[in-house]
Amino acid sequence: MSLIIDVGMRISLILGLLTGLSVVVLSLVWVERKFLGRIQMRMGPMVVGPYGLLQPVADAIKLVAKEDLLSPWVDRIVYWVAPLAVFIPSFMIWVTIPISRDIVIRNMDMGLFYIIAFSVLSIVGLVAAGWASSNKYAVLGGFRAAAQLISYEIPLIMAVLGVAMLAQSLNLQEIVNQQDTYVYALVQPLGLLIFFIAGLAEIGRTPFDIHPAESEVVGGPFVEYSGAHWSIFFLAEYINTFAIAALTVLLFLGGWLLPGLSGGAITTVGIFVFFAKTYLVILVIFWFRGTYPRLRIDQLMSFGWKMLVPLSFINIILTGCYMFYGWPAWLMSIISVTILVSVFWLVSKRMNNTKKEYTVHIYKPESSEVKNAG
Amino acid sequence: MLGNLKGLLVTLSTMLRKPVTYQYPKEHKPIESRYMGFPVLMWDSQISEPYCTGCMVCVRYCPTQCMTAVMKDNPLHAEGVSKRRKIVDSFEINFGRCIVCGICVDVCNFDAIEMSHEHELSKYARNDNRSDLTRLLEMGRNYQEETGWEPKTNAKESEGEASS
Repeated sequence: MSLIIDVGMRISLILGLLTGLSVVVLSLVWVERKFLGRIQMRMGPMVVGPYGLLQPVADAIKLVAKEDLLSPWVDRIVYWVAPLAVFIPSFMIWVTIPISRDIVIRNMDMGLFYIIAFSVLSIVGLVAAGWASSNKYAVLGGFRAAAQLISYEIPLIMAVLGVAMLAQSLNLQEIVNQQDTYVYALVQPLGLLIFFIAGLAEIGRTPFDIHPAESEVVGGPFVEYSGAHWSIFFLAEYINTFAIAALTVLLFLGGWLLPGLSGGAITTVGIFVFFAKTYLVILVIFWFRGTYPRLRIDQLMSFGWKMLVPLSFINIILTGCYMFYGWPAWLMSIISVTILVSVFWLVSKRMNNTKKEYTVHIYKPESSEVKNAG
Repeated sequence: MLGNLKGLLVTLSTMLRKPVTYQYPKEHKPIESRYMGFPVLMWDSQISEPYCTGCMVCVRYCPTQCMTAVMKDNPLHAEGVSKRRKIVDSFEINFGRCIVCGICVDVCNFDAIEMSHEHELSKYARNDNRSDLTRLLEMGRNYQEETGWEPKTNAKESEGEASS
């Protein structure tokens, strides 16, 4: 009997998580369209519901009701499995992400490791989707996704490692509790930046959205997908976006902690604090989307391997020195900011230098050809 | 690199501006008083009949042949109320064909046709853009109310008297 209750509890928890994440995704779609609209001095969706609040619901109904087209050359089994291979890892991550103190489905001691391990899995789904679609754009997009995700996984893990070293734990609850006195964004601004940029690349948001790039590979691995199957990819992308924002908040911005908030209220008020912080980070992601054009693939690779990877190693070494020699926290933050500013300065100087290498050659046609025309 | 931050600032500043959107079907942009929309027929409110006599000069000059007119004897003239011996019986303009050139207005001897503020062509059926006499007069009355339109004929007549 107790087994049935146990299993029922777990199933209801998972269903609740699924519903919650779907609501979050709907809200994200609305927030994104509104926010991008405001950036472009438009209003965004206004017609369906008050202030267009029901627009994502209408979109979802449209997507589910759409015909699911299938190309005859498609490798069926892989084609149907690929959306799930993308969606399930992004869903599984949320099992161990706490939204407030002790409000988590399963509090794992290896939580951070679990999250990193699962988030890598979605590459398989993207490559499989690209391969199974039997479409050159899809294959190209799948390969691009693999190249991008693998190269940006390293700085992401390294930035996370810095936090794990500071907190001496991989448990997310523990990491947040460690940020009681100061949040890790103050100690490791460098780590925060690396994590955020690598996270953007990891979820394929705009400056790094080269695998679904519409103007180059017309949607990448998702070209052949339509209707409900496409919407599963879409759902996974937004859940991943939310997960990266939530992880940024948990690892660097103090999670549900707020100065002046303490005692028993922390659990209930903490939920709102956590969501407020997460949505702020989400807004920054959308702000980036409204601002930056897409990187070229070689720019993406060189930025990943020449900038982020060395920077993340410097971050690790710096954190190690900080832990070993017991530096004061302010020294650590000063060093981190100094490295950030100097790298910034070096890169901008280099970019200004490369600008001068371009020379303009004006082509003057021979005048004899023009004579004949008259 | 600094350009990235500048870009972020640009989008932030545009975000704080007011949207320039008009929620179109609900909210219309104000039309300038001299806006030249589709031609409509004017209504003589003193005698309560249209100015148009159905002389067909506009129909003959129309470059796209988008209008037709039929003339009849004016019953009000027989009663002695109106000076017009003939009056328009039916009039139709196909706004789908009209190119808003304004030749009909230039050519009209009675100030009966005028470029109004009507400019919306979206209809549910193909032939809904063919406007008959009652609709043209209704649009004309709206235009007259909006702009306080007055016929120029009096000025023309007095001018003609002065020159002759």
